[in-house]
Amino acid sequence: MSDTLLAILHMIIFPGGIFALAVGFFFKGLDRRVEARLQRRVGPPLKQPWLDTAKLLTKETLIPKTACRQAFLLAPVFGFTGMAVCAAFIPIPGVYSGLNNMGDLLVIFYLLPIPAMALMIGGSASSSPFGALGFSREMLLMLAYETPLLMILLAVAMLAGKSIAGGAAGAEFSLLKIVNWQQQTGSLGLNTAMIPALLAYLIFLPGTLGVAPFDIPEAETEIIEGPLLEYGGPLLALFNMTSALKTFVLLGLGVALFFPGVISAWWPVNLIWFVLKCLVLMLLSITVVKSATGRLRIDQAFRFYVTIPAALALCSLILVWVM
Amino acid sequence: MNTAGSTFTMPLGPVHVALEEPVYFHLTVEGETIRHVSLTSGHVHRGMEAMATQRNLVQNTTLTERVCSLCSNSHSFTYCMAVENVLGITIPARARYLRVLAEEIKRVASHLFNTAIQAHIIGFKSLFMHTMEVREMMQDIKETVYGNRMHLASNCIGGVKCDVPGDLLDYILSMIDKIEPAVEEVRELYSTNSMVLARTKGLGLLPKEDALRLGVVGPVARGSGLRMDVRRDSPYAAYPELEFETIVDSGCCIHSRTKVRLHEIFESFKLIRQCCKRVPDGPTIASMRQIRDAEACARAEAPRGEVFYYIRTNGTDIPARLKWRAPSYMNWEALGIMMRDCKVADVALIANSIDPCVSCTER
Repeated sequence: MSDTLLAILHMIIFPGGIFALAVGFFFKGLDRRVEARLQRRVGPPLKQPWLDTAKLLTKETLIPKTACRQAFLLAPVFGFTGMAVCAAFIPIPGVYSGLNNMGDLLVIFYLLPIPAMALMIGGSASSSPFGALGFSREMLLMLAYETPLLMILLAVAMLAGKSIAGGAAGAEFSLLKIVNWQQQTGSLGLNTAMIPALLAYLIFLPGTLGVAPFDIPEAETEIIEGPLLEYGGPLLALFNMTSALKTFVLLGLGVALFFPGVISAWWPVNLIWFVLKCLVLMLLSITVVKSATGRLRIDQAFRFYVTIPAALALCSLILVWVM
Repeated sequence: MNTAGSTFTMPLGPVHVALEEPVYFHLTVEGETIRHVSLTSGHVHRGMEAMATQRNLVQNTTLTERVCSLCSNSHSFTYCMAVENVLGITIPARARYLRVLAEEIKRVASHLFNTAIQAHIIGFKSLFMHTMEVREMMQDIKETVYGNRMHLASNCIGGVKCDVPGDLLDYILSMIDKIEPAVEEVRELYSTNSMVLARTKGLGLLPKEDALRLGVVGPVARGSGLRMDVRRDSPYAAYPELEFETIVDSGCCIHSRTKVRLHEIFESFKLIRQCCKRVPDGPTIASMRQIRDAEACARAEAPRGEVFYYIRTNGTDIPARLKWRAPSYMNWEALGIMMRDCKVADVALIANSIDPCVSCTER
C-alpha cells in the first residue's frame, strides 16, 4: 500500500476520523456528565453526543437568504476535514507514531486554528450580526491564545533539541522524536523547567475549545451562539463533530508533549492508558474549570491570555534557554 | 443588518435566551460598544385592564394574580387593598399578618430567581444551579402552605382566603432556619467571587441624580442610594408593627442592585419570623360591604418596587375602571442610561439587573 493511501486511511479511520470522533464524543459525554454531578444534577447519558448528532443529521439544511451560500456550506466541511487530518498527526505513544514522514509540530500548529477559522468563515457568511460579532470575538481570542501555544511548542522543541543529537539540531520539531526521547529520559510534565509550560497548556485548552470561562465567541446568553446561530441540521452536526475531534486532538497533543509514557508492550493497553491520560487532562483543565467559573468579557479574556499563560510559557522558554 | 458607517444595528429579542420575557432592544453597535438603545415592547399585551372592567370585583382578584407570575401575590394584594379602600373595609389583624407572610415568602423566591438568572447570563452554570436549588426550598414552602408553587391565591377581598394554622407556621419557621445559612452562602458567593465581580461591579451605572429624575423604584432605586420603600414610606397591612431595615447601597451598579436584593432576603426572613411568632388569633376575613360610587387607590412594595392600583366603582360589582402601574414601567426607562457606552456582552446583564417584569408592565 502506498504511503499516501495509508495516510488517508489514518485520517479517515484511525486515529483521525472515526476513532477520534468516537473518543471525542466519549469525552464530551463524560464531560457533561461530570459537570452535572458537580452541580448536583443527574446529567445526560454518555451517548448523548451521539444522539444529538443523529438527530441533527436527520434534519433539513436551512440556508439564510442573505448568506453567502458556498462559504456557508463549506465552512463546517473545512473545519471538520482540517481536524480529521490534524488528528492523524498526533502520535499515540506505544500505538501509533503519527504521520511523522509528512509533518511535525509545525504542521499541527498550522492545522489547529482551522476549526476556529471555519467558525469565523461560517459566522461571517451567515450574514447575521451575531455571526459578525462572534467572528470578531473569535479572532481576538485566537490572537490571544495562539501566542502562548507557540511559546509552549517552542519551549518543548528547544528542550528536546538540546538533548537529542547532543544539541546539534538546535530545536527538534518532530513530535515522534520528542515522544521517543521522553519515553527514554522521562516525561516533560515532571520536568521543573516545563511545569510552567504545562500550566500554560492547561489554561490554553479551555480557550481554544471555547468552554467557560472562554466560551465568548459562542456565548449563548449574549450573542445567541454567535457564528452557530444560523446553522442547523447536518451542518451544525458537522460543527459539533469538529468540536469533538478538536477535543481529542488537543488532549492528545497535550499527552504527547508532556506525558507520553507507556506502561506495556501490548498496544491495546497503551491505547487505554493514552485515553485515560487524556481524560485526566480534560477533567482538570475543562470540566472542573467550567463548573467553577462564569464567562469573561472578551477584553478581560484577551488581557488574561496575553498576561498569565503567556508569562508562564515565556518562563519555561527562558528556563530552557539558560539550563 | 443595516450598516451605516462603522455602526450596525443588532436586534436583541423579542425572543432571546437571556430574557425571560419578550422585549425588543434595538442596539446600535460600534464594534462591541453600544452607541444607542431603543426599546419596543407590547408582545405580551393581553388587554387585562379592559378584561378587569368585564369581571366583578371578586373575579378580578384571580385576574390580577395572573398579571405576572413572579410578583403575582403583590398584584392581588394591592388590588384587594384598593377594593377594601373603596368599600371601606377594615381587615382583621390576623389577615394583615398572613398577607405580609405570603408577600415576603414570594419576595425571597423572586429575589433568588433574579440573582440566579444573573449567574446564568454570566455563563456561571454551577452558581445558577446552586441558587435555584436554594430557591427550590422556598418553592417547597409555597407548595406546602398554599398548595401552589407560583400563584399562592392567598388574598381575597376583606382578608385572606385560607388560614395558615399553627403547625404550618412552625413548619415555615423550621424551613427558614434551614434556608438562611444556604442564602448566606449564596450572598457570600455573589459578593466575593471574582468572576461575578468582574462582570457586575462598576457596570450599568445609574447615578443617584438620574435615578431621582427617572423616578425608578424598588431595588433599582435602593441600589442607587435612594432610601425608597413603600413598606416604610406609606405603611400598609402589618408592616408598621414589624421591624425591618431598608437596604440601601450607593454603588449604583449591577453589583449593588444584586447586593440590595440579597440583603433584602434576610430582612424578609426577619419579617417572616416576626409574622409567624406574632400573628394574632381571630378571624381571617371581614364581611363584604355595600358597593358605592367611589374611587380609591393603593400601593405596595412588590419585589421589583412600588406597584400602584387605582379603582373606580359605579355602584355595581363590575369596576368602572381598574388601572395599575407595575414597577418595571418606571425602571426600564433607566436602561437607556445604564446601557450608555456599555459592551454588547453586558446588555443582557444590565437588562436583568432591573429585574424586568414585562408581562406586568404590558398586562
